[in-house]
Amino acid sequence: MSSPAAEPGAWRAALWVLPALVPVATILIAGLGSALLQSLGLMPLVGAPALTIDAYRVNAGDIATSAALSVAIATAATAIGVLIGVTTALTAVAGRRWALWAGTVTVPVPHLIGAATIGLLLADSGLLARLFGLSEGGWPALVGGRWWIAVVLEYAWKESAFIALVVAAVLATRVAAYDETAAVLGASRRARLRLVTFPLIRPAVVAAATISFTYTLGSYEVALLLGRAYPEPLPVMAIRLFTSVDLATRPQAAAAAIVTAVLALLAVAGALMMLRRSAVWR
Amino acid sequence: MSTRLELRGLTRHHRGQHVAALNGLDLDVNAGACLALLGPSGSGKSTTLRLVAGLDQPTRGTVLLDGDDVTNTPAEQRGIAMVFQRALLFPHLSVIDNVAFAARASGMSRRDSRAASQRYLELVQLGDFADRCVADISGGQAQRVALARSLAAEPKVLLLDEPFSALDSALRADMYALLRSIRDALNPTIVLVTHDQSEAAAVAEEIAVLIDGVLEHHSDVRTAYVRPSTLAVHRLMGGLNEIPGSIASGVHRSELGSHALPADIGARDGPATLVIRQEVVRLAEPSASSITGTIESLQSAGIRQRARVRVGSSSVFVELPPQVSAAAGTVVGLQLPTDALHAISTRAGGAV
Amino acid sequence: MSRVAMSRVVRAALVLWFLVPLVPILLWAFANRWPFPDLLPQQWGLDGVRSGLAAGAPHAFVVSATLGLAVAAIATPAGALAARALTSGRLPIPRVVEAVLFAPLILPAFAVALGLDVLVLRTRVPSPLAVVAVLSVAAIPYTTYLMRVAFGAYDKGFEEEARTLGASRATVLIRVQIPLLAPALSGAAFLAFLVGWTDYVVTLLIGGGRMVSVPILVASFAAGTGNSSVVAALSLAAVIPPLILLTLVARAGPRTGTST
Repeated sequence: MSSPAAEPGAWRAALWVLPALVPVATILIAGLGSALLQSLGLMPLVGAPALTIDAYRVNAGDIATSAALSVAIATAATAIGVLIGVTTALTAVAGRRWALWAGTVTVPVPHLIGAATIGLLLADSGLLARLFGLSEGGWPALVGGRWWIAVVLEYAWKESAFIALVVAAVLATRVAAYDETAAVLGASRRARLRLVTFPLIRPAVVAAATISFTYTLGSYEVALLLGRAYPEPLPVMAIRLFTSVDLATRPQAAAAAIVTAVLALLAVAGALMMLRRSAVWR
Repeated sequence: MSTRLELRGLTRHHRGQHVAALNGLDLDVNAGACLALLGPSGSGKSTTLRLVAGLDQPTRGTVLLDGDDVTNTPAEQRGIAMVFQRALLFPHLSVIDNVAFAARASGMSRRDSRAASQRYLELVQLGDFADRCVADISGGQAQRVALARSLAAEPKVLLLDEPFSALDSALRADMYALLRSIRDALNPTIVLVTHDQSEAAAVAEEIAVLIDGVLEHHSDVRTAYVRPSTLAVHRLMGGLNEIPGSIASGVHRSELGSHALPADIGARDGPATLVIRQEVVRLAEPSASSITGTIESLQSAGIRQRARVRVGSSSVFVELPPQVSAAAGTVVGLQLPTDALHAISTRAGGAV
Repeated sequence: MSRVAMSRVVRAALVLWFLVPLVPILLWAFANRWPFPDLLPQQWGLDGVRSGLAAGAPHAFVVSATLGLAVAAIATPAGALAARALTSGRLPIPRVVEAVLFAPLILPAFAVALGLDVLVLRTRVPSPLAVVAVLSVAAIPYTTYLMRVAFGAYDKGFEEEARTLGASRATVLIRVQIPLLAPALSGAAFLAFLVGWTDYVVTLLIGGGRMVSVPILVASFAAGTGNSSVVAALSLAAVIPPLILLTLVARAGPRTGTST
């Protein structure tokens, strides 16, 4: 660990990575593998294993609707999160870090609590409705309404803080010196944002946005508290089927879970392609 | 690109600091001239550059370009380019795109800006490097690209903040030659900050010395060596000989005897330190000189030797020409050419 | 509007965006009666707090804290060692290893928990253990990433200097490496703690209803109606301890040391 002679060789490095690698690989493979097998009928609760895609077929319409809803919610929330998060990070550059600090305060808030408090804020009898003095019917149905607005806002609220912190870190370390260099070369504030700041923070934004997107895709408690009964996002559907009394729905629950995982992987693949393109151009 | 730069009463207190980083600087740089701003660390040199560039605001004072007050103009509109100690080439752009940055920022298309910038890249002798990745070039090459990038902005004044300090001496010599050819081609007004007096002498015609935020000396290069305003400036310029004594009627009296001072110094009567460059003092036969002393030690300074000659309780440093050799313990005579003598008045009981 | 005024407005709007959603729990936690159109509670009081305590808040608090501490205790050293291995440059197939280590960030936790539940039941692994294991795996990407940044910025020169001054390997570890890495370690531990403290889905699915953490308790009340003050009081209990930890960690936090 200290002297060149004791510098970890490949074996030593491999040894050090095992305490993290083994649990991660085991849990992920066991968990997702088991879900996959259950969805394909190869790990039934009762009866003999038999390969079948019934679990996917039976609910195909609902799965498709739920998938579309999940993706829509995740996209909307991530878009708002990126917009607000990047803006927050940019305001913190000049030294007045109030907005960033406010964002940091929201980080320890669990999503469940966030859902509860945003529900108290945006419901028909919530704080904002009272503030605007709008009685029954005058206040739009943000919670449990047709457009899943409260759900999207809660995800966007938490994501914007996460993205703000990630981008602020990159701005502080990498971008500050380049901004001055660009200024003495005659670039206006807008030009500096366009030609220096945004290109340099782009990889971090893509990474943070992808993590936020996939998290929202697989998130349960917020849609549970703030959403409506139908249609359901994929995680809500999966857990409803999983905890139902009818044991025959277990494979269907697993199918919904696998679909969610696949969507997440597709999103990551898309993000990697986006990142690779800029590297090649470089 | 030739613009006259004037600084009037430029003062800067860093946030929360009581002591001024820069205190009342008055400095003029003629169009097309090259001024070296010299000083020890923390003397306010980089602060000055940042104020001139517009990256920081002065607490008091003004910056004038060809007579126009630009103190309240933001950095991007001043037309003053700056090369930093670290090249800071934009990592997401190629070499040519870095050089073309100013053109791009002003609205030129990518193709036009690249075409317009090629000549600046050729000026720094890196014409073939246009499409290279910034990560693939050496430190010296990066510094040259940074120079080209600043020149391509066609600035009114070019500021260089210790740009060669990270390069080895051979590379530095190349850069001095490069700077000379750039001056021939474009005649920009240049302010170069450095802590190295030999670099200042190699590159500039004028030297200004900042010590603790105050301008202590401003003159052409030779005068800075031979007629420093203060002892601190003398030491900064590498001068080693300081002989305490006093002046009466234009004659300096000290342990080395009486020496008539050149008329143009304007020496005041009173306590004063005699200074003379070690490169100018000559050894002679003890019998033929008015000053005699003993060589106390010899030190090599490159190919030459520097002798420390003890005269009474004082030491005189002499840089010996390459063909002359001497041995410690030898009694020698010293000759101090009159026109190279200089005296700096000191207050009673204190050094300047 | 001038540029300065504009950025002040934007900053104020952002502060409101982040902090206003927290106001309801502050108000509702201490509201005994707050009928509909009123802007402020009619009657302040601690009924919500009392109901929360009666409903098992202290026990839930202990469960959540234990989860958080257990996850921090496992994920922080694992992540630190993995980060050391990654930055040593000697790791075979580093990209694959990285991909695996960071995979929990993008894979849905509920799917893993859902699939794992059957296995946990069949192998008779105690469910709290399984929950801690899954949450530790979820936390490892964060701890690994933070420690990797720290090791990247870490200057081996300090170690080497200490050794030339005569410090033994153990002394170097205790007096040089750990103090230099302490801010990053505490940050990583904090994030790992948060993963355990804030989790809902994994505790729900694998805990089998027997592990009542604070989020689970809040959810059971939030699902019903008329429980706003209990929900708010419990929410405060869920938010305040991590906030306190956050200020402690930030105080000991990494000196960014950025210079322009």
